[in-house]
Amino acid sequence: MECLESKDTIETTFQVVRDASYSEKKLKVPTEEEINKFLDNILELQRLLLDKTVKIEYVTELLEKITWLDKINEDCLIQINTLIGVAKDFHSTLIRQFVRLNFIRSKGIAKQEIKHFKSAIDNLKDSIADLESVFFSLPQMPEFNDTTKELSLL
Amino acid sequence: MTIYCLPDFKSVVDKLSKKRSYNTIEEQIIEYFFNNSIEDIKSGARLNHSQTEPYIKKRLQGAGGFRMYYLVNIPQEKVYLMFVHPKTGSEGSDNITDASKAKIYKDVLQAIKDKNLFKVKLEDGQLTYNDFNDPD
Repeated sequence: MECLESKDTIETTFQVVRDASYSEKKLKVPTEEEINKFLDNILELQRLLLDKTVKIEYVTELLEKITWLDKINEDCLIQINTLIGVAKDFHSTLIRQFVRLNFIRSKGIAKQEIKHFKSAIDNLKDSIADLESVFFSLPQMPEFNDTTKELSLL
Repeated sequence: MTIYCLPDFKSVVDKLSKKRSYNTIEEQIIEYFFNNSIEDIKSGARLNHSQTEPYIKKRLQGAGGFRMYYLVNIPQEKVYLMFVHPKTGSEGSDNITDASKAKIYKDVLQAIKDKNLFKVKLEDGQLTYNDFNDPD
């Protein structure tokens, strides 16, 4: 009776070891070259995101500088309106790219770079909204214009 | 350059300073407003088209993504800190509405007229809020 139990235990162990051994033989362990290539791809992604972030920050700065222009006529407003449209399109493209990065972010890869990328996209969105406010919404608020006049007289 | 702030601005800064994720707010205000010239702080988005009294919205660099709203009186070399809000974290919010931008603009005008402002100074590396008539 005791011998039968032992045999069962040995048989079970034998099956586990056999399966484990077979799986390991079949499993392809990445070579050093493959691991290096994988790490290179992560570094490349980090560089790409950094470049994109710098580019977005530059565009945001340029949009902010538009608010400091003093000689604005009707033609300029038409140009600014077109510029706002193009900037919104740029923002939409970037948001789509960010959404596609969600999978990578969930794996903890390039987390910091993706965070900075998103922050730059948000700042871009803000600067587009500010352009609309400065040139199209706020000038249509009589109270706002009155405040500007009063401040200039103080 | 003399720096003033609205009483509400002080309240917001005091509140944010107590939160760990925003406790760099004073440091960032000091860095930007006390370590720069009046010309340097003419950056960000100008909201009112004024050459002499620009009303500015500025993103401060650093944690929290603070948005500062302030008025600069260039001829008088005076700066009025009006409003600040973080972009991220528990107190974070999106861009304020145009109605809010107009309101705080009107508030600062009234505060200047009423002299209902604090004079902000840097003492021993910290911001102090003093009476409007405090000597420079």
